[in-house]
Amino acid sequence: MRNRTIYLLLLPGALFLTIFMVIPILLTIGSTFFNEGSFSFEGYLHYFQDKYFIGILLTTLRVSLVTTFICILLGFPVAYYISKVGTRTKVLLLLLSIFPLLTSSVVRSFSWMIIIGKNGVLNKLLLSIGLIEEPLNILYTPTAIIIGLVHLFLPLIIITLIGVLENMDEDLLTAAESLGASRLGVFAKVVLPLSMPGLVIGSILVFVGSFTAYTTPALLGGKQRVISTFLYQNATTLNDWHTAAIVATIMIVITLLVTIIMNQIAYKINPKG
Amino acid sequence: MKKIIKNLTMVSALALTLSACSSSDSSAKKEKLVISTWGFSEDFFREEVYKPFEKEHNVEIVLDSGNNADRLNKVRQGNSDVDVIYLSDYYAEQGIQDGLFEKIDHSVIPNVENIYEMAKAPLGKEYGPAYTIAQFGIAYNPDEVKKPITSWADLWNKDLGGVITIPGITSTTGPMFLDAASKVSGNTKFNEDAAFTKLKELMPNVLKEYGQTSEFVNMFAQGEIAAGPIMEMYFAQLQEAVPNAKFVSPKEGGYAVMNTVNIVKGSEQKELAEEFINYLLSKEVQEKSAKAKIDSPVNTKVQLTEEEAKGLTYGEDVINSLNILDMKFVNKNSKQWIDRWNKELAQ
Repeated sequence: MRNRTIYLLLLPGALFLTIFMVIPILLTIGSTFFNEGSFSFEGYLHYFQDKYFIGILLTTLRVSLVTTFICILLGFPVAYYISKVGTRTKVLLLLLSIFPLLTSSVVRSFSWMIIIGKNGVLNKLLLSIGLIEEPLNILYTPTAIIIGLVHLFLPLIIITLIGVLENMDEDLLTAAESLGASRLGVFAKVVLPLSMPGLVIGSILVFVGSFTAYTTPALLGGKQRVISTFLYQNATTLNDWHTAAIVATIMIVITLLVTIIMNQIAYKINPKG
Repeated sequence: MKKIIKNLTMVSALALTLSACSSSDSSAKKEKLVISTWGFSEDFFREEVYKPFEKEHNVEIVLDSGNNADRLNKVRQGNSDVDVIYLSDYYAEQGIQDGLFEKIDHSVIPNVENIYEMAKAPLGKEYGPAYTIAQFGIAYNPDEVKKPITSWADLWNKDLGGVITIPGITSTTGPMFLDAASKVSGNTKFNEDAAFTKLKELMPNVLKEYGQTSEFVNMFAQGEIAAGPIMEMYFAQLQEAVPNAKFVSPKEGGYAVMNTVNIVKGSEQKELAEEFINYLLSKEVQEKSAKAKIDSPVNTKVQLTEEEAKGLTYGEDVINSLNILDMKFVNKNSKQWIDRWNKELAQ
């Protein structure tokens, strides 16, 4: 009896999500299949034949995947290190690594403008030590978006990785080494598979975040648009909610697809994860 | 897995604590007039414009600020309590087409008689007047360009590779720049195809399109761009950052950007709102905003010295020299223009 009533605790949260999230999302998705009152896929066909839209989609995908990849590369060693230090240092380092999350993305984007701009700190430094002769054009390119997004989402992957790395049994590593595995072998065969759950959750968070980010691409990006700025243009400036809903649905589907693919990869590497 | 969730919870708890630090205002019993406006120079407007009106009419003025598109959208959604809305003519015309505004009887706004002909009813006699006219021209940094810029056509100069910005087609001045491109292509009457062909030629010079003027100011101040089309009213800000900066009325003519005031349909304060519009056009208010170099005056009774008029779009001759776009025409074609702009100019 007690076990059954405990489910009632879920009710307020579930109700809230149903009314304010599930129903609106279903309505949004449903509305995209109707064109002037009749059922059709025309909206979608139109978009997938549109070179301009495909271009935006590919740019966004590329930017988000590269961001995720860089976050993993940078985040893994940091997380590994933090998971191995003493409790007090760990708390301090953890706080420091989530610090970027505590400043608004607008402020962060503006600071990147100052750093990577044509007359920015980075270019001035490189020019003065003679490494380059012309200022680098980084600001207002997809590279700038990636830099901003990595800064924004790195904490997420670090936090999720620390969680799994902390619980990893030291003895497993010693055992692997004593049985003749090289350092690289230990990493590939033991550490990596065991950290898969954290890696997958972290990567999904970073990917979804980058894919849907609006502020950073709007401020740091240039002439090349990403999907969320395109959605914004349709919804608010053009007041074309039908198109906006179609774009939103495409975004949801892609996010789901990528999540599934990432889970599949994780399962291949560590079927028990 | 548990650890992950624990850490995530910690982060979200922190975020929540931070966002919970906002305060709520207690509402007074006084009558309220809700004004939707851009939000620039808010201190000035509060002190010099709203306060005297509040006192005289025993009313509390509440502001709702944001850019044109966002604010118009709020009104479109139908659940806002805005009474008076400031919009550029491009967006005001959209509001009119959607039937969002009350019709106004100009006879209850006597000050309309004292303003420039062009500003009286830019979008039809039944809708709000323009309370200021800004010139859309070109600003540039003379230290960063090889030759002085004097015309719209100069922006196409090959020397300016990657150092200019242009307004995006969805901003108020976007259609004006499209019209300018048509003029540069040699057409006296607007030619859409020629304008887009010409714009495509311009794209190698464009670093980034701007959606809000603050982006222009920022890029100009940081030295990312050397030139670009902008409204004269923002020139003072450019000069603050780059004292040598120059503003020019292009040879082919600048464009008139008219900022209008309208009353939102269903407003319970229609009379008071009309009173406010009348007040906004009065010599007193127009002179104050002109002297503070915030809005160029449309009231012809306002007299300014040369020093006071600096940076403003002032004087009958200047006003009459400006090109005006037919906003009905713009509105009818904007969807197609935006589509072409996205597809043909994207790189």
